[in-house]
Amino acid sequence: MLEDPLLLARLQFALTAATHYMFVALTLGLAPYILVTQAVAAVRGDRSRMAAVRFWGGLYLVNYGMGVLSGLVMELQLGLNWSGLQEVFGYSFAAPIAVETMTAFFVESTFLGLWVFGWDRMGRWAHLACFAVVTTTAYASAWWVLVANGFLRHPVGFETVDGVAHLTDPAALLANPASALAFGHVVTGAALVGALVIAAVSAYHLMRRDDPHGIFRRGVRYAAITVTLLVLPVAAFGGTQFEYFGEAPPTSGLTYSAEEIAAIEATAEGGAAEVAGLAGETTMVLAWTLIALMGPLMLLAWPFGGLDRWRWFLAPLVAAPLLPYAASAGGWVFRETGRQPWVVVHHLTTADAMTPLSPGTALVSFSLFTGAFAVLASVTCWLLVRYARLGPDGGPLAERGETASEEPAAPVHPF
Amino acid sequence: MDVLSSALLALFLVGYLVLAGSDVGLSMLMPVVGRAPGQRRRVVAAIAPYFLASEVWLVAAVGVLAGLFPATEHHVVAELWPVLVALLAGWLVRDAGLWSRARVDRPDWRAVCDGAIVAGGWTVALAWGLIVAGLLTGGPAASPFTVACAAAVVCLFALRGAAFGAERLVGADECDSADAAARATRPLARAGLGLAVAAAAAAFLPGGPTGGAAVVSLVLAAVLVGALAATSGLTGPMLSRHTSAVAIAVPGLFVVLAADLPVAAIPATTGAFVWATLAPMVPVMVIGQVWLYRMTRQPAPEPTFFA
Repeated sequence: MLEDPLLLARLQFALTAATHYMFVALTLGLAPYILVTQAVAAVRGDRSRMAAVRFWGGLYLVNYGMGVLSGLVMELQLGLNWSGLQEVFGYSFAAPIAVETMTAFFVESTFLGLWVFGWDRMGRWAHLACFAVVTTTAYASAWWVLVANGFLRHPVGFETVDGVAHLTDPAALLANPASALAFGHVVTGAALVGALVIAAVSAYHLMRRDDPHGIFRRGVRYAAITVTLLVLPVAAFGGTQFEYFGEAPPTSGLTYSAEEIAAIEATAEGGAAEVAGLAGETTMVLAWTLIALMGPLMLLAWPFGGLDRWRWFLAPLVAAPLLPYAASAGGWVFRETGRQPWVVVHHLTTADAMTPLSPGTALVSFSLFTGAFAVLASVTCWLLVRYARLGPDGGPLAERGETASEEPAAPVHPF
Repeated sequence: MDVLSSALLALFLVGYLVLAGSDVGLSMLMPVVGRAPGQRRRVVAAIAPYFLASEVWLVAAVGVLAGLFPATEHHVVAELWPVLVALLAGWLVRDAGLWSRARVDRPDWRAVCDGAIVAGGWTVALAWGLIVAGLLTGGPAASPFTVACAAAVVCLFALRGAAFGAERLVGADECDSADAAARATRPLARAGLGLAVAAAAAAFLPGGPTGGAAVVSLVLAAVLVGALAATSGLTGPMLSRHTSAVAIAVPGLFVVLAADLPVAAIPATTGAFVWATLAPMVPVMVIGQVWLYRMTRQPAPEPTFFA
């Protein structure tokens, strides 16, 4: 295995993308909840809800940091290890990624900086507006990345000129069903990830009867409603995509004839990728079934006060985030292995897309980034659990200095 | 459309060097300007608001390169793969240190994170030096020019960081680090001047730059030497904020204007698509950047998320 640069590059990208998505899903799932909580806090001048914003916002930032780091590596890895893809499909596949970097990530990171450093320096409405921009651009980012990803699965809207794909129909690119359905699936799936993380953290503190600001009783109720409402849409968006699986894209035949496509697909080894895809699908369906049971059970426990009091009911909720994470990872493995042996279905094989690398350089790159990611992802998970357990008073954004305020507070700079 | 897109790419690249040069350079100088634990915290507090808003310029540049100049990107990746991997690794390590530093309240944890910030900063600066040299010579070349050019770029990053630190580290009680940064500007500018002259001389030896834009190169070299000479002379740190910005912009402009890179005409539909989606967002991008840089002109009085 270590002698095959292609396998190493594929494994490296799969691990990078999987790590990235684990953190992105929580970012997308938490952002709207934080935004709504901060909006309510701003309207009502509610200190307990602002404490909730500081608590969930602290977890959001720890998580976001790892999402950015893995995202940077993922984007640059696309160019470094898959330059064949860029060479042929730069003007079509990479164009939405270019738009994403400028219009979404650029704005998101800047306004997140404003949000972090603006706590004591700007008015509550300006501060709220900053997080509204962060939330909007986080979703815009996901949309553009899925436009690019959907193009790989269902390439549309281009013609080939001298071996290079030229975009001819941007509308078709944007309205690509493989992108739009995946976006719906990712948005609803990320909401489940966010809701169950909120449920788990809330359950942990409610079991200890430790909820002075009411953060966790509101959190567990939000989770009960969200999981119940979104568990069917997430399956609907996911299931509708099955009809595009295995179907030839409208541009099929532009690069290879039907016979050549059949020959390429016949010689491709199914093997490990096929097994991984099947395992991914099974995991996804199994985890989804368990999540589907949880929403109604939480709603049933609600009127009896079980969401606040029943320790035996709350205890399993602490482990609940494992389910949507397993479903997300399984779903992505299923989606991406299902495309093989193609990187762009019926146009470019994964093998042809790869940068020519010697086994040695591929191994160095693989070890370097996989090792760094293993360390960083573990540290981030540990920090998330640690801050979640410390609660609202121990978070990275928690208000400081109230206990030790012998000196007057430093003046706030008026710009 | 092609000229406009090239200008956009140049803007992102030069903007990255000027803005991120500050926080990358200050990361490199942390051992010099941050000797005590409290000083190191202030160094990270000075870097933190900016790195979020400056590294996005490079991400945007990479996006434009991939989406509008895939042939150029393919050439760059093929020629400079190991250096680009080193840049990415240094970037990752430095950012990991910045994100993690304030998360655990233990001296050994902070020492590891500070080490990551410093090592990552030096790796990023050195990788940029090798990238600039590699792009000018048309591929990696083990030549005197590569050595002098890479060293000069590293020196320009450090100078930019020193100029930034001389302003941003000024505080109520701990002015030591601001003074140390201010004192570093003059020797760094002198070293940069020497290295820039050495690189210019080595350009005529074998393994020097290819590409023929002689007039442009001459003008850029004169600008660089002028900016560095101003800082190495009597004014010292006084105007270094501006001279260091001009100086670090020059390597970026060399790459844009004088490097011999393959450029293909951008297909009209792709160009129109990218520009039509980008144009409405430009005001938001500008507002966010200007607002953040204005808001954080004064260091935060309280500890923030990062330090």
